[in-house]
Amino acid sequence: MAKKSSSYVTTLLLAPMAIWMTALLILPILVVLVYSFGELAEMGGYKPAFTLAQYANLPARLTAFKNTLVLAPAGTLAAFLIAYPLAYYLARTVEPRRRMILLTLVIVPFWTSFLIRTYAWMFILGGRGIPALLEFIGIEGVRLLNTPTAVLIGIVYGYLPLMVFPIFVSLEKVDESLLEASNDLGASPVRTFLQVTLPLSLPGVATACMIVFILLMGEFLIPALLGGGKVFFIGNALVDLFLQSRNWPFGSAVAITLVVVMLVIVSLYMRMIFKPGKTQDVSMI
Amino acid sequence: MEPKNTDLSTTNNHGDFDIEFINVTKHYGDVVALNDTNLKIPRGSFHSLLGPSGCGKTTSLRLIAGFEQPTSGDVRHRGVSMVGIPAYKRPVNMVFQHYAPFPHLNVEENISYGPRQRSPKPPKQELKKLVGEMLELVRLPGFQNRRIWQLSGGQLQRIVLARALINRPAVLLLDEPLAALDRKLRREMQMELQSLQREVGITFVLVTHDQEEALSMSDTISIMRDGGIVQTGTPSELYDTPVDRYVADFVGESNFFSGIVSAADSAQATIQTKTEISLTAPYPEGGKHLTIGQRGAIAVRPEMVLIWPLTHEQPKDIDFSVKGRITNRIYLGHQAEFRVVTDSLGEILARIPKTAEAVTRDLAPGDEILLGWQWNFGLAMPDA
Amino acid sequence: MDPRKKFIETLNSYKKGSISRREFLGKTGLGLATAVMAMNMPGLMGLRQANAASKLGNRVSLATWPNYHDPENLKKFTEKTGVHIQHNVFGSNEEMLAKVQAGGSPFDVMVITNYTISTYVKLGLLEPLDLSKLPNFIEANHEQVFIGEAKIGGKIYAVPKNWGTTGYVVNTKKIKDKMTTWKQFWDLTITKYSGRTIVHDYQLTAIGNALKYFGYSFNSIDPKELAEAEKLMIKAKPHLFAISSDYQPAMRNGDAWMSICWTGDGSQLHRDMPEIQYVLGKEGGELWTDFFAIPKSAEHLEAAYALTNFLLDPAVNAAEVKKHGYPATDKLTNKLLPKEMLDDPIMYPAKELLDPLEFGAAATLTSPLRAEVMARFKAA
Repeated sequence: MAKKSSSYVTTLLLAPMAIWMTALLILPILVVLVYSFGELAEMGGYKPAFTLAQYANLPARLTAFKNTLVLAPAGTLAAFLIAYPLAYYLARTVEPRRRMILLTLVIVPFWTSFLIRTYAWMFILGGRGIPALLEFIGIEGVRLLNTPTAVLIGIVYGYLPLMVFPIFVSLEKVDESLLEASNDLGASPVRTFLQVTLPLSLPGVATACMIVFILLMGEFLIPALLGGGKVFFIGNALVDLFLQSRNWPFGSAVAITLVVVMLVIVSLYMRMIFKPGKTQDVSMI
Repeated sequence: MEPKNTDLSTTNNHGDFDIEFINVTKHYGDVVALNDTNLKIPRGSFHSLLGPSGCGKTTSLRLIAGFEQPTSGDVRHRGVSMVGIPAYKRPVNMVFQHYAPFPHLNVEENISYGPRQRSPKPPKQELKKLVGEMLELVRLPGFQNRRIWQLSGGQLQRIVLARALINRPAVLLLDEPLAALDRKLRREMQMELQSLQREVGITFVLVTHDQEEALSMSDTISIMRDGGIVQTGTPSELYDTPVDRYVADFVGESNFFSGIVSAADSAQATIQTKTEISLTAPYPEGGKHLTIGQRGAIAVRPEMVLIWPLTHEQPKDIDFSVKGRITNRIYLGHQAEFRVVTDSLGEILARIPKTAEAVTRDLAPGDEILLGWQWNFGLAMPDA
Repeated sequence: MDPRKKFIETLNSYKKGSISRREFLGKTGLGLATAVMAMNMPGLMGLRQANAASKLGNRVSLATWPNYHDPENLKKFTEKTGVHIQHNVFGSNEEMLAKVQAGGSPFDVMVITNYTISTYVKLGLLEPLDLSKLPNFIEANHEQVFIGEAKIGGKIYAVPKNWGTTGYVVNTKKIKDKMTTWKQFWDLTITKYSGRTIVHDYQLTAIGNALKYFGYSFNSIDPKELAEAEKLMIKAKPHLFAISSDYQPAMRNGDAWMSICWTGDGSQLHRDMPEIQYVLGKEGGELWTDFFAIPKSAEHLEAAYALTNFLLDPAVNAAEVKKHGYPATDKLTNKLLPKEMLDDPIMYPAKELLDPLEFGAAATLTSPLRAEVMARFKAA
């Protein structure tokens, strides 16, 4: 009896969450799914139909998919390579009193709009920013803005805090005595890092990379602003399809495909990283 | 307090000492963790560093392990200075207080961790065999593939022991290794550690705050206090001849009678208590001599105190007696403990072994009795 | 020049360099967000006359383009009527249409461009205007060419606001060639001035002006012609500085030397940096008219008419033109403008340059062909 009533309570408590998820996540995806089988109306928009034509047309956005599938992992990797040493420094090197200040500094940029910060980068990378400074010291003809490099810089900058925090938390959880134990057993600091610190921080790394990767798959602002519109991601394709050509059925098919591709990649990734039994002791944060 | 070191060896060859501290001082900022300390631990002995928290015992251990470097002085292994040598190059291994097993590795990988750091790495087959032997040694055969989170506290303890011993260290360091275990398991592990030490024959250095643990396991013990060693000796030496009141108090229980030294020579001293009672006792071996007029104390172990009924004759050899009333009596199985209140010497604790029960069997709280001890069973020492 | 001095100048120029709100708000949909928020929380707007009883109500929502109104005028309207204006800025006609079409964006007055009107009407999003409520609109004072597309089945669905052209700007300090054609624009982009040209992130003008290279119609949806245009665009792509409709900052700071450009931006750039010249390609290009329209879904109909009529008042309209630099279609308004403005060749190009220009065609809006050309161009 008691058990039954408690399960009612659970249901009741979970109801708002379930309704929220249904209304804001599942329903929109269903709408998009239905649209993806429709036809483009004469004046733009959606005309009810059941056709696979939109999916058949997917190769038309193959380049965008390819660009995204190259840049999302590249951006994730670049952000990781910069975030890990930073997180390591924050978690293991800096004294605790200064740690809070530095952590705050990592978050501070989040207090202003992402767009404004990206615009700031347009000026920094533009002809009168870093290239002008380089010219000042004699290196001429460097172009940064509106190049894939600029997009990568923007991505690393924008996603760095998202990458730093999960890694920081997992590094901070690594017990100091484990490092001493490794040292004591004959492992040099470098080997200790490779054999103890790194593996134990992997759950944080995996989480951080996944968050950043998923968000990068849908990125469109950074390529538009720092890539000068010349770097075309699937996110940009979606913006154009919905807001410019108003081809909602095709946009929907592209969106559904993106979701599916993402689900496949993420589930493969999860299976690879979080092997059952292997890492039960190191939980995701 | 003057640091005292007891040379436990019969020879002056420094190679016979696995660990030597020579005037070692360690500061952490303004805090002095270890002050001008000298210590010698002979090869193959089971040595304990015993003291309350903050006495410097863990610092000493970390200096041996190489996690810390001394501010001044020298730490030596078999006569060779280890100052500046990092932990991973020292021939010592440690069992950590909270074990510190590697959670991402299974039992086999944990145990083989040390050998795998060697260059060249031992062949796989050899490693497998070594791990098997180690698991036999710690009586956990077949545990190779267990995950760390599947182990109990006692099992973890043995795994990290195996992980340390597989490296055949010259010295095994144990930092409060039994503190996290329950009482029964602790007893069991104490015995196991002792027999393990005999089996592998290497030096064990144990840090503990538990005097019973130190007394029951160690060949020698250093009693530490405020960043220095007060006395080093075998358990019986420490028990029988504590150099001062601190040691006497820390190792076992004692009755202390303090007052002003009224007579003293090079072998013994007499102390006059506030209640005008004069008590005489010899100095402990290696103990400080007292001078007339200073404050001193006579320490008498409870088992040295005898009790008899008023109607009974004073036992032989007892040259001092005082009247008192029993306030409490506890059976401890192998002995009976009496608490007695006296007018002149306050409360006195006496432990009567079962074998001497004939006289005390019928005594109960409230009874008036006499008690006393043989004068040379007491110890005269400064009243620190 | 002393490099240090040059650097300081660079820094100073940033103070001038503006980030266009069009790009800013358009890219994020922030404009829409502020609109929705403002509508639901009038208190936020610091509404002074919230309680003023009026048949106009106390608010009206305007969907328009960036830098397209004199803020003083909008303030005056609120002071006069007690109706507060929610000002929503968009990035493109297509985006505006997409949002109205999707519903949930109840604008009262919209500024839309000629070629979209028929689509709005066909989608049933517009109704004929009640001209009795717009006494400041006198049809005879506007040239028929500017009204044409707003008249469907003899009914007027929108009233003209401004007109303009789509040409390109050239920084003559950097580009010494005498620029007169679209052919030059593309050829020099690919050769001499590689990496210095901006093309609109906008199918109508980007594709349209590539079509002009070959002398085809700006509005062509002929697959063969489009294929040629696409080839040219893809060939030019590696030589472009950017594909962006936010070209003012890069033109101002010297990163870009050439860009497809609308009249008003041309006026503004030339005003601040005289070396920047506005060119209409001899081959032709786009001529356009922006209109006021009141969508069917308008929630504040009376206020919508009141605002539209107010902005059509010649005095008010003249103030607008002085501010944004786009010519008005209304003759009465032109009479109030200073002579030098009426003589400005950017605002009022010579007849021989105007003659070959075409109005954008509705067909380009929904042409999948053009959408795909644009997508391949951007992805290339």
